Amino acid sequence: MLDAIKPKRTTIWLYLLIPVALFVFSVFVPLLTAVYLSFFELKSGQTIYTAVFNGVDNYKALIADSIFWKSFWNNIYLVIVCIIGQIGLAFVFVLFANSKLAVGKAVHRTFGFFPSTISAVCIGLIWSIIFHSKYGLLNWFVVNVLGGTKQAWLGDANHVMLYVSIPLVWQYIGYYMVILFSAIAGIDQEIFESAEIDGANGFKKAIHITLPMIRPTMLVCLTLCIAGNMKAFDSIWTMTAGGPGYSSYVMALYGYTTSFQQSNLGYGSAISVGIFVLSLLVIGGSQAIVKRATRGLEG
Amino acid sequence: MMSKKRHLAGSNFSPAGRSGKGAGYYAGKVCINIVLWIFSLSCIFPLVWMFYSSLKLKRQFNADVISIPFGTATLQNYTDILNNPDYHLSESMWNSFRTTAISIILIVLFTFVVGYILARVRFRLNRPLYVMFLMGMLIPIHSLLVPMYVLFRNLGISNQWYTLLMPYVSFGLPMGIFLVEGYVKGIPISLEEAAAIDGSSFSRTLWSIIMPLCRPILVTVAIIQIFGCWNEFSFALVLIQNVHLQTVPLALTQFKGQFGSDYPLQMTAMLITMSPIVVLYFAFSNQIIKGMVAGAVKG
Repeated sequence: MLDAIKPKRTTIWLYLLIPVALFVFSVFVPLLTAVYLSFFELKSGQTIYTAVFNGVDNYKALIADSIFWKSFWNNIYLVIVCIIGQIGLAFVFVLFANSKLAVGKAVHRTFGFFPSTISAVCIGLIWSIIFHSKYGLLNWFVVNVLGGTKQAWLGDANHVMLYVSIPLVWQYIGYYMVILFSAIAGIDQEIFESAEIDGANGFKKAIHITLPMIRPTMLVCLTLCIAGNMKAFDSIWTMTAGGPGYSSYVMALYGYTTSFQQSNLGYGSAISVGIFVLSLLVIGGSQAIVKRATRGLEG
Repeated sequence: MMSKKRHLAGSNFSPAGRSGKGAGYYAGKVCINIVLWIFSLSCIFPLVWMFYSSLKLKRQFNADVISIPFGTATLQNYTDILNNPDYHLSESMWNSFRTTAISIILIVLFTFVVGYILARVRFRLNRPLYVMFLMGMLIPIHSLLVPMYVLFRNLGISNQWYTLLMPYVSFGLPMGIFLVEGYVKGIPISLEEAAAIDGSSFSRTLWSIIMPLCRPILVTVAIIQIFGCWNEFSFALVLIQNVHLQTVPLALTQFKGQFGSDYPLQMTAMLITMSPIVVLYFAFSNQIIKGMVAGAVKG
């Protein structure tokens, strides 16, 4: 009788077959292939049939590979800058926009969110024009408004990571603003009102009421931000392609250049496995730390 | 008590007698609004800048990057780009459009069917499948690029019109399934029971009763994925080498090499390829913002 909820087993599997097969084929099969290939030497001129098994040599090389670790730390740098820049600034802007002093909250929401809908490639191209050493908008500003001299922004090996992280931060502030707007809208207004009667100012309200009340949302933002920056690639690829030298390499970029520009697919697979393991470790580790830290606050 | 509360709420005008507080109030108001408006306008400025710069020629742009071309505006860049077949612009837009459209249709269909079955039908592999799809959200895509390239090459399925559908649909499934599963659980099961008593088959209930009910969540899934597919770069970069099959982000990075330093031409290309997304965004910004945030927070 209850055929609607207890369909025949073949019916279910007919419905599930294509999506499950497709998903396994494009997610899990490549993952296992990466692990398999990472034990082989597979360079240009070799096919998977002539690849030479070389045990854990690729992993030995990876652990000793200073460029890989530099890329990893650049990822971590991005994560930290973007947590402060994206989530931190978004939180401040949301408090500003929510205060009764602000004009045009809806406009800030719509305009602020806009960059996050544009492809990272476009963002990278726009910002490489802004940063351009000769015709860039930033140099125009520095020379004509601040009265300084032109800088080769993206050519500065010491600060290039800071400069490439600016577009990333800018692109996603509005995204996190919108998430925080909806979290703060869910807080009971009476709490703020009674705090005001007790003499709390805007800053105290933000730290002692808003922040604790939206802690779960903050954790979501943090996870999104960390996961997003561990896979940074597109905009950095279009802006600097990792340069100057290796100074703005990130893991995905190193994996790409090794595999496809140097045609070293075996080692590239080992890097892929490295990206997989390190990304999961960083995401999982940061969640554990944040959960433990906030549990301490509650206790 | 009352006046203090009113003052802190910032909703009243200070009488002249309390000009000290009044000055602070206005200073705060000015600062907050300046910060917010600088940010909001910076988000929209590149679009405006690109638009009027696309009406300039390279020579004019290089002479002055910021000036507005009153009187000298020209559509030369647009005619150049659209008439020169070497730029493959309309071709790449068609490729992006086709890939995005087919991916969205498949993602919506698959997430609906799989999400519904996982929410309602009891079978042994239900939870394992659910966990498997959720794990897809954790896997960093850049660890799959190399193996996917090797696999697709050897199977002869790279550089085909359908190549990108596989990763796009697969990586669109986890969040969609998660959203649909949660949504279906909120629909009272008595509906399906009533349908079954009236003799409706599983498939008929699925498509003609449940699907219309799930429309809001399926629209959300589609919105999230439209932007994801249109903007995706990494898979396209690795799996598509044929210039006739490249998608928009890929074409734009090629332009960067082709055009050298002709920035107005580059901006024109970006503007043309961004236009569908920009129009879509400003036409439906509220729905889009809501959908993207729902996906981010629940996913």
